[in-house]
Amino acid sequence: MSDDLLRVRGLSTRFFTEEGQVNAVEDVSFTVRDGEVFGIVGESGSGKSVTALSLLDLVESPGRITDGEIWYRNPELADEYSGEFVDGDFVDVVRLPKRARRALRGPSFSMIFQDPMTSMDPSVTVGEQIAEAVEVQRRASANPRSTRSRTQGYGLGSLLLDSVVPTREYVSDESWARAVSLLEDVGIPDAKDRAREYPHEFSGGMLQRAMVAQALAGEPDLLVADEPTTALDVTIQAQILDLLREIQDERDTSIVLITHNLGVIARMADRIGVMYAGEVVERGTLADIFDDHVHPYTRGLVESVPDLDDPDARLDPIEGSVPSLLDAEMDDRCYFADRCPKAMEECLEDPAEFDAGDGGEHTAKCYLADREYDESRALADGHFDEEVGDGE
Amino acid sequence: MSPRTWRNLKREFRRSALAKVGAVLFGGVVLVAVFAPLLAPHNPTAQHLDLEFLPPLGFSASRTVSTTQMVNGSVETVQNTTFVAASPSYPLGTNGLGQGVLSRVIYGARTSLVVGLLGVLVAAVIGVPVGLTAGFYGGNVDDALMRAADVMLAFPSLVLAVSLVGLFGTATIEVPDPWVALGLAPNMPPTFTIPGTVVLVVGLVNWVWLARIARGEALTVSEEEYVKAARSIGASDVHVVRKHVFPNALTPILVLATTQVAAIILLESSLSFLGFSGTTLSWGFNIQNGQSYLAEAWWVATFSGIGIVLAVMSVNFLGDWFRDALDPGVEGEGGV
Amino acid sequence: MSDPLLEVSDLQKHYYERDSLLDTVLRRDPTAVQAVDGVSFEVREGETLGLVGESGCGKSTTGETVLRLREPTGGTVTFDGEDVADLSGDDLTAFRKRAGIVFQDPYGSLDPRMTAGEIVREPLDVHGVGTPDDREERVRDLLERVGLSADQFDRYPHEFSGGQQQRVGIARALALEPDFLVLDEPVSALDVSVQAQILNLLDDLQEEFGLTYLLIAHDLSVVRHVCDRVAVMYLGELVETGPVADIFERPQHPYTRALLESVPRPETAEADREITTLSGDVPSPRDPPSGCRFRTRCPAVIPPDDLDIDQSAFRAITDIRDHLDSGDLDADDVAAADEWRERVPDDVPPAAADALDDAFASLADNDEAAARERLRERFETVCERENPRLGDGEREAACHLVD
Repeated sequence: MSDDLLRVRGLSTRFFTEEGQVNAVEDVSFTVRDGEVFGIVGESGSGKSVTALSLLDLVESPGRITDGEIWYRNPELADEYSGEFVDGDFVDVVRLPKRARRALRGPSFSMIFQDPMTSMDPSVTVGEQIAEAVEVQRRASANPRSTRSRTQGYGLGSLLLDSVVPTREYVSDESWARAVSLLEDVGIPDAKDRAREYPHEFSGGMLQRAMVAQALAGEPDLLVADEPTTALDVTIQAQILDLLREIQDERDTSIVLITHNLGVIARMADRIGVMYAGEVVERGTLADIFDDHVHPYTRGLVESVPDLDDPDARLDPIEGSVPSLLDAEMDDRCYFADRCPKAMEECLEDPAEFDAGDGGEHTAKCYLADREYDESRALADGHFDEEVGDGE
Repeated sequence: MSPRTWRNLKREFRRSALAKVGAVLFGGVVLVAVFAPLLAPHNPTAQHLDLEFLPPLGFSASRTVSTTQMVNGSVETVQNTTFVAASPSYPLGTNGLGQGVLSRVIYGARTSLVVGLLGVLVAAVIGVPVGLTAGFYGGNVDDALMRAADVMLAFPSLVLAVSLVGLFGTATIEVPDPWVALGLAPNMPPTFTIPGTVVLVVGLVNWVWLARIARGEALTVSEEEYVKAARSIGASDVHVVRKHVFPNALTPILVLATTQVAAIILLESSLSFLGFSGTTLSWGFNIQNGQSYLAEAWWVATFSGIGIVLAVMSVNFLGDWFRDALDPGVEGEGGV
Repeated sequence: MSDPLLEVSDLQKHYYERDSLLDTVLRRDPTAVQAVDGVSFEVREGETLGLVGESGCGKSTTGETVLRLREPTGGTVTFDGEDVADLSGDDLTAFRKRAGIVFQDPYGSLDPRMTAGEIVREPLDVHGVGTPDDREERVRDLLERVGLSADQFDRYPHEFSGGQQQRVGIARALALEPDFLVLDEPVSALDVSVQAQILNLLDDLQEEFGLTYLLIAHDLSVVRHVCDRVAVMYLGELVETGPVADIFERPQHPYTRALLESVPRPETAEADREITTLSGDVPSPRDPPSGCRFRTRCPAVIPPDDLDIDQSAFRAITDIRDHLDSGDLDADDVAAADEWRERVPDDVPPAAADALDDAFASLADNDEAAARERLRERFETVCERENPRLGDGEREAACHLVD
């Protein structure tokens, strides 16, 4: 078993909006190992995307990380800093000074998003955008202390000058060559020519590959992929998943793969966290989650997906809908209880993360991991009715 | 207007100081315009030649009258300088015909407001259907209508005004004044003059802007899936435009319309200034009237000028309020 | 076997670009985007036909054209014996009552300024069904029937969740008591657990009201679960049709196979499942490949009879030919040319090796035409010459391998 790369402990991210406090991510913990794919599965409103953004410090006001630690294994960084937020080779990213945290983006962590078309600047060629990422990394590693030198030459002045004097290169030849080579690595044919094209000239799949190339520019330890194939056709999705697998194998990069598609998770993930209403409700290996699941939500998810090879007469959906994440509207109970077919009295109190007992790392935030279902303590069907205002 | 619209308007109103200022000022203009006969101390059209050029309260003016007289057998020009004091019954002074400036300013508000609102109405009645049709149907219809609009834009507004006045004259409409008819304001002018040609002119000049906005919105909305859905249930084009395209295109049209009121008030003032109006109870006319003696009797023009500034500013603030409230922002704030 | 309610024959929908007045003046030929190019199928009463394909294949366009929300540029659509393209006036109105559609985007298909009740009532208002009171009652009925509560009639779309919004859309589609519904990706935009709810609902409604469905989808697991028969679409054409179990268990067309293979299964064995991924992207519908449109990505392109060569080598060679033909590979780019040459394995028959050598030599001499011709004469495949067409039978695949 490989070493831990990232240890997330008790992460909470909250949004302080006009309508009130939104608990997008609450007390989330998981571990990502070297060279593995950690999958986060959840539907909309589960908090999976905000978790991803939190890892890269991309959460914007009115949201911020309010609690928890993100321990990242980086011996150099651990040497440089000392204090409470260093533990052996691990550094707590949350407590790092802002500049250092930002510096991690690129060489340590990078991210690809769902819709490549909106993640790229339509007015700059693809090659240039990747080369820019390369260039930034190059300057940063040349002069790690100075963020000024890293962004030098990219201000308004340069932009204006470039539009007037076309021969002035926006990026160095070296960076350009590396960009082309990255495009080749991600499987774009005729990379040299295609690098000079604009994003709208690329198809969805090609553009997503280009995004991956950009994300790899800094040679990161961890790649966070937020629904990278959701907007793509299924045959293209297969190509992109292959690419991610290749990156994992050849570069030993760890990947946090976020998706709502259970098939994708099954194909790619080594270990999985299932998220619901901002919490990780079950964690474990692929087999734990698909075959030995404990939490009724996990079960509901797995059972409500129509199976390609085994069409049932009837799907078994999870009744009801996702709860609101507004702090004012959340009780201190199990958030799934109102939709759970096996809710018991104790579920009115927030369950801890229990060990699911297989001896491995399988945990579930559910009393069913700790004890048998007891019908005599079951909650009445209408117990949560005042809460459910819709007709579902 | 959906309840969400009201909520957004209220919220923005609470938030914005300028919205409050605009609402108060514009409200004031409206009140003044509506209750003009009751508020004006004197009949603005009545002339009192012995009371010409009285200064406003708190000011004094001197008048130098040159008369030719026989002094000791020879004809001489004698300058007599007298000081004229302000009269409390004419707080803003009088003009060259002895008409009260305050009363004229009050009645002027009526003209500006009426022309402003009617003018926008004319512009909307022409421009919005044209724009919606162009945007909804696209293609050749769109091309044809927009080229027509471009032709209109090429016309300088004043040239158009002059031509139309030449053609139709000033086409004034005399509307009986309800307050006078009820006997509540016995000394005031019995009718109120709406300068018809001016209203037509400002409408014709401004419809193009509304058409442009309407077209842009119609283009976007027509692509929305709910428009497709309406067609799928068998709704006619007219029904679709009326029930779906128009309401969803309304917000920017409304915002533009409020700023147009301001532009129209200014345009009307210019037209009155140039004498094309057909009514003399207009701020623009007052300014034209008073500009020749700005040095000695500055009050004649100035107060009307202030009136224009306040009216235009208030309408602009209102427009800003609408726009900020109704513009869909990030996180779903605003929006109708 | 029941009668076909809907019969589509050689349906064609081409979009013309560069077709404005200015282009005519400048003498520019209009380019046709062949969104739907000769599609034939039928939907029988009471059944659900699945129209499956990836984005850009023309399935949504087909769905809308069948309902005459777009005008076909060729072919015929017959609904219950009547030619849909001929309908006008009252007949068209009558058709609209019998055939409806549920859209993909649950929020976008609802007018944000109307309440749920108004949205569902609109079809009744447009067609003047019953008295206003009757309509109110029918609206309440419909809302309940689709799983919402009747007192949600005064809520606005943004106050509903995605699944509920889609229910409103379904209620609207049912308002006029249609016989036939086009379901255009009805659950694609919804969460997995909600998808299941909606699919079950559609199932129940079909049974209760005797509805016939044309389900357009790209998600194969949904199709398998819901449909009786399936038609697979690629780049504007149908490539395979048949009963659902047959298609899924014994797919004949290479595209169908690739499609099925690409879908990741939510099970632990998935991680080790080997699949052949299709290379490249879908070609542009403005300029589809000659002959079989799938040949540029097909893992089973047919080599000429007199050439005994294995599939991967032949695939590499056809890729070279495609690139050469399209101009992507040209004489100037020596490095690229070498790279392409290297993709062809060495153990090809001498006839093939010779042809390749000759062609690349011509290329080095700047004679692209000669290179293309040499390769064409040696490697021309039936797949590029003839476009295989679907027959009329129950189980068809448009592929020369199946002929």
